[in-house]
Amino acid sequence: MTHVYLLYLIGCVVSLLLYKQNKIAAKVGFSISAVASGYGIFYFLMNLSGTDSFSLGENLLYNPTFSLDPLGNFFSFVVTLIAFASSVYAIQYTEEYAKKGSLAVMAALFNSFILAMLLVLSASDVFWFMICWELMTIISAFLICFNDSKASLKAIMVYLGIAHFGGMCIMAAFLLMANQSGSLEFSSFASVEMGPVLGSVIFLLAFIGFGSKAGMFPFHVWLPKAHPAAPTNVSALMSGVMIKVALFGIIKFCLWLPVMEWWGLLIIIIGALSSLLGVLYALIQHDYKSLLAYHSVENIGIILLGLGTGVYGIAINSPTLATIGFLAGLYHTVNHAIFKGLLFLGAGSVLHATHTREIEELGGLAKKMPYTAFAMFIGVMGIAALPPLNGFVSEWFTYQGMMQGALGEGILPRFIFTFSVVALAVTGVLVVIHLKLYAIIFAGTPRDMKIWNAAKEVPFTMIFGMMFLVAGTFVFGIGASVVTDNIMSVVTSFSGSYNAVPAGVLIASPIGSTISLPIVAMVISGAMTLPFIIAVILKANRTKPRETDPWACGFKYTSRMQITAGPFTGDLRRLMNWLFRSDQSVVEQDGYFGPVKYTDNPKDIWWNIFYQPVINFTEKAADKIGCMQNGSTNMYSLYILGTLCLFLGISYIL
Amino acid sequence: MSSIFFMILQVIAIILVAPFFDGVARVLRARLQSRKGPPDFLQTYRDISKLFKRGRTVPKCSHWVFRYGPYTLFGIGAALLAVMPITYGAGTIAGYASDIFVIIYISAMLRYIFGIASIDSGNPFAGVGGSREQMLAVFVEPVMMTSLLVVMLLAQTSNLAEIREMVQQGEIGYHIPAFAVASISFLWAMYVESGRNPYDLAEAEQELQEGVLGEYCGADFGLAHAGLILKQFAMIGMFLTIFEPWSFENPFLALLVFILKAGIFYVAAVFIDNFGPRYKLLTSFRSNALAALGISFVSLVLYIVGA
Repeated sequence: MTHVYLLYLIGCVVSLLLYKQNKIAAKVGFSISAVASGYGIFYFLMNLSGTDSFSLGENLLYNPTFSLDPLGNFFSFVVTLIAFASSVYAIQYTEEYAKKGSLAVMAALFNSFILAMLLVLSASDVFWFMICWELMTIISAFLICFNDSKASLKAIMVYLGIAHFGGMCIMAAFLLMANQSGSLEFSSFASVEMGPVLGSVIFLLAFIGFGSKAGMFPFHVWLPKAHPAAPTNVSALMSGVMIKVALFGIIKFCLWLPVMEWWGLLIIIIGALSSLLGVLYALIQHDYKSLLAYHSVENIGIILLGLGTGVYGIAINSPTLATIGFLAGLYHTVNHAIFKGLLFLGAGSVLHATHTREIEELGGLAKKMPYTAFAMFIGVMGIAALPPLNGFVSEWFTYQGMMQGALGEGILPRFIFTFSVVALAVTGVLVVIHLKLYAIIFAGTPRDMKIWNAAKEVPFTMIFGMMFLVAGTFVFGIGASVVTDNIMSVVTSFSGSYNAVPAGVLIASPIGSTISLPIVAMVISGAMTLPFIIAVILKANRTKPRETDPWACGFKYTSRMQITAGPFTGDLRRLMNWLFRSDQSVVEQDGYFGPVKYTDNPKDIWWNIFYQPVINFTEKAADKIGCMQNGSTNMYSLYILGTLCLFLGISYIL
Repeated sequence: MSSIFFMILQVIAIILVAPFFDGVARVLRARLQSRKGPPDFLQTYRDISKLFKRGRTVPKCSHWVFRYGPYTLFGIGAALLAVMPITYGAGTIAGYASDIFVIIYISAMLRYIFGIASIDSGNPFAGVGGSREQMLAVFVEPVMMTSLLVVMLLAQTSNLAEIREMVQQGEIGYHIPAFAVASISFLWAMYVESGRNPYDLAEAEQELQEGVLGEYCGADFGLAHAGLILKQFAMIGMFLTIFEPWSFENPFLALLVFILKAGIFYVAAVFIDNFGPRYKLLTSFRSNALAALGISFVSLVLYIVGA
């Protein structure tokens, strides 16, 4: 593992050394991170069920070690997998940032961002965990800065604000833990004993802290602001991987603490809410990158459903339930990383070619960008969990886990589990509506000819980055039995075990459902060839079809007649308007017969409920406190002295 | 391996026979409406074979999703039929593909292709039709999933072949109240999914579900049309497999019985769809769906409290 880390470090240093040669620095820097990630993929895959550690030298204050257990290996694998695709993608993608900022710095930050995530995963004491955790946050905030605009600055502030709050909760949870175990080392946390109240407080702090970073409801508002603002290769990492690192933290805490039943149920409820609300908000977005960010909220919800089942399984002492839950959660973690990375890279390609994030201005791009179109098509299929792609397998496991939970005794767990299954099913239906993400961008006629004419297919490395992940969606879907086998080796290291891969290409759940993805794939592809055979047998007229305009009731067809993204989900919006509270306002009305122009901006109601009051209060409080900052150094010394006395007093009383 | 053979057999047999029942339904519908209608039950065969000979046009703007749309729609319809455990049982190779979630998500794939093809056609009505199709699913899917969830929880598996055998052997069945109630709501969901009046009409006006069909012609249209008939058969098949699985052990006889039963359901649906207007999506349809959702929740609650 040190090799992998060192490679990223080298990438970071080398790209900084090439500061003067901007373009070369980017090429070299991102190539090194691609090599490091490629090596990392193999390394972490080979050593998936092993443990490894190194220490950072004796000469520091103490002897900090970084160690990876199977769970850490798994998450490191996910990080490097997406990092590989997005580094390769970045080699040519970042060229357009050459005028905006220093590519050398970008490549260096990119390398160190990946390194920081990997170090979070391997840190084995509170101090280094928190250092790397904050580094990860800060570096990603810097990377967002490359898209310099007023909106992105606001996004960074919101992001840092929530990350700060989350960091505070995590720190508090860690310190309470350390207080109980008497050491800051993670190894001492495993055997710590504590009462239910304290345990619950620590759990809630950790859940809120990590959950806010993961983007679970109701802490999700920063994702749709921050992720779209970042350059695409960074968005892919942030949305695909960074939020997963937070889930790693939740799992760690749940393994240390004496778990209680209601924690699992709470995680499941939050997961169901996140998935439903995430997809509902995603549906009404016009900015395709923030649409994808809301999707991350939804998928974090699905992962939480799995993890919640696992935690509940630990609590009721049912190893098989815990195992299927964690298996589902981890499987969806890697799956979501793959297709969300893919979708973000695809969205970045569209942005690269069209320079607009407004979905309603695009259309018909499939003819100009066939490879990107194909990649996005597969990506949306993956996220919609259509068999035999990867999303289906993990959702299948999630369903199975929750069904097993619903089989147990007790009205309340049954109630929560069954309704979460229904919530997940509804989420599944709503995600399919995301075909509009593909269809409005790539299908139909162009809505803005200027943009369409200027668009062209993206360069090779960007396509390669996307195709790598396209291959991933297939491999992790059809190769489900191999993947399950590997993830099981991770899950069994901290949980129970059951025979998840009974034979050959089968995968099974503990309650006995068995399925074979290769056979499903064969059935589907076999069925797809049937119509071609029938067309041949019936001697269908296969002359080349005439190309015409679409039919428009006898009127002359114009591209303004076709449906756009807004109306496509219009019925749903009307149905769910209580959730969106869109403020519709007529901007311009030019006589009775003239076209009416109006704006219609659906809003996230939770922003007004949870965040606006806090922001208002902070601003007001800052105004009041502002008088303390009077510029006089003497006064400041007095403040310091006063604080010191205060703390001395507190420590004396305690 | 024999199960794979039977799987292929059942798909081909149903593809061959389905247009016949469509013909019967059309004759019956015409009689009910005091129209003359088609001369015999074979009209759908003639329609399709005539369509296969016609030339085709496609919208200029469309790309491969639209152009191969009919093939995928038909393929998905056939795949749905293939995973119905009619002639094969649990534990066989084919049985490992026959999972309730596979079926639900394959029919989601149909909507996915259908929606993209709708928008890809550039046709203003097709887009609205595609959108309506998605909304239908939003209303139907919770009902369907809740009913199926009850069945899966009672059977403790999601494998359709196993569930069918359990119902056949009486391990689960109508003596369990939750199962009985679930059958009602699932019947509703199945009926809506098969695209019939008053919820939808497969040959309806263009602004409804079949908007995109307006842009297909010749063999493309024939295939898309046949694909939608197959989907209707698959949906009926799913109901029959879970809630009315009585059949023979012998796969050939089982197939025969299945085709007869599904055909009767297909034709009998004419008696419902012939009367009554089409529902508006956000008003009458919605209240209808809420009622069905209520029934399915009753069955879920019956399960939860252990009845």
